[in-house]
Amino acid sequence: MDSAYLNNWIKNESKVIDLGCGDGSLLRDLMNTKSVNGFGVENDLEKIEKCIENNVPVIQHDLDDGLKDFKHLGFDAAIMASSIQCLRNPKSALIDLLDVATTCVVSIPNFGYWKIRLLMMAGRMPVSSRLPSKWYETKNIHLCTIKDFEELCAELNLKILEKIYLNDHGKPLKKLKRGNLLAAEGVYLIGA
Amino acid sequence: MKKNSAVFKSDLNFKFACNKTLPSIELVYETYGEINADKSNAVLVCHAFSGSHEAAGLTSDGNKTGWWDEIIGPGKAIDTERYFVVSVNNLGSCYGSSGPKSISMETSEPYSSKFPDVCVLDWVNSQKLLMDELEIDCWEMVAGGSLGGMQALQWAVSYPEKIKRAAVIAATAQTSPQNIALNEVARQIIRKDSSFNNGEYISYNTTPKEGLKTARMLGHITYLSETNIQRRFGRKKQAPGTKVAEEVNFEIENYLQYKGDQFSEFFDANSYILMTKAMDEYNLADQFEGNMSKALERIKSKLLIISFTSDWLFPSWHSRRLQKDCILSNVESSFIELEGSYGHDSFLFASPEYSKILKTFLGS
Repeated sequence: MDSAYLNNWIKNESKVIDLGCGDGSLLRDLMNTKSVNGFGVENDLEKIEKCIENNVPVIQHDLDDGLKDFKHLGFDAAIMASSIQCLRNPKSALIDLLDVATTCVVSIPNFGYWKIRLLMMAGRMPVSSRLPSKWYETKNIHLCTIKDFEELCAELNLKILEKIYLNDHGKPLKKLKRGNLLAAEGVYLIGA
Repeated sequence: MKKNSAVFKSDLNFKFACNKTLPSIELVYETYGEINADKSNAVLVCHAFSGSHEAAGLTSDGNKTGWWDEIIGPGKAIDTERYFVVSVNNLGSCYGSSGPKSISMETSEPYSSKFPDVCVLDWVNSQKLLMDELEIDCWEMVAGGSLGGMQALQWAVSYPEKIKRAAVIAATAQTSPQNIALNEVARQIIRKDSSFNNGEYISYNTTPKEGLKTARMLGHITYLSETNIQRRFGRKKQAPGTKVAEEVNFEIENYLQYKGDQFSEFFDANSYILMTKAMDEYNLADQFEGNMSKALERIKSKLLIISFTSDWLFPSWHSRRLQKDCILSNVESSFIELEGSYGHDSFLFASPEYSKILKTFLGS
């Protein structure tokens, strides 16, 4: 996720947790540009080392163990960039997210995207530059479309305050209409 | 590696947190590497319960290496080609710094059981005196494992301007009832030794060796992990002719007795009691009306909190709790749980991941 899209959503000097922060580069950007007080959560030791190298505070944690360790610690915003579909229990993670922070930024790869549909039409699981892993090694285990995701948010009474649909190159689509077909990724600002 | 041993004597009254005062104190310490021109490359390492100032290189008796030799040295995690490392023997210990075996100027007798109750804060305050003596303005890092990690944390809280990084390893901000319970059994074993004489054994010309030995055997078990001793000893029987005592049956028994015997040769029983008491009493929040946030909010340095999977003396939840409290207080802290099969003692051994994390943190 490009931090440019987050600029309106993440407030200056706010306290931000990035759940599945990788090498910490998104948080580093936000720390540099918005002076946020950032914490990353990551389970991969090599990525954790990168975070420490980048001066990004990081907590080693397996997100599949739940978010209870991060509840009510005063976060203004939680970011879950392209990691919810990797969780064993994405629904309970979504429920817990608003106990972690008052607003949450969640992004999902959209499996309703037309190029993916085409690949599936050919009778194969989709492999593309954005989804490079084969079915047996992909970390994406709970695949959903934009429609599916927004339906779950509604069911859980999670308010989608704002959303952006991104194309294949990570650029926002001008219109939200037919996003389920045209967007490669959905980015959401969720609140209570 | 350039290595130096020295004694620092402070002739100022030293006031302990328990309100007792000593007219002067002595600290033995070692340094490794060289200090740079502006004295900005200094690292302090703090030892654990029975450790000493001999952290790196060969020990003075020449047949062992220092307790953190795998971590400190040229090219190692704490690289003595870049950093000037200071390692102090804690007050109340028995390796040369002022402690129960030291002679009181008042009575011209050893302090023995009369040595003031010492605590983690006292150690940090005494290390600060040495820091001033060495004209070091700010530590690049204070690091330690176990009781040493508690000192690193205490440094970050007590002297926030004087430390850039704290590595709090296999430690806690508050010892648990289980820690206290284990320590109390060890202390009772020592006190019940008929040679202990209420701690005045020096004047009675006795040594509570048996008590010390057994206490250490118990302690030693808590430093190891079940997997570790399973792998190392299993149910193997000690070969006849190699037994340290007739009653020994299994290798693990022989090992513990051997280690206990060794320990009782050089460690001081009053120090054992003082150091374990200091560990029991450690609760960072106590110094701030029981408010952990108040303590942690003072921190300005970066914190690295490390725990080990097989440590059951200070299991990972201690470190997780500290990390959680640090997030609440907006401390720039990271927490990592490393695989380590050696139990609590894992902090002594440099696995590649452990070394790399420490090195990266120090270089960040």
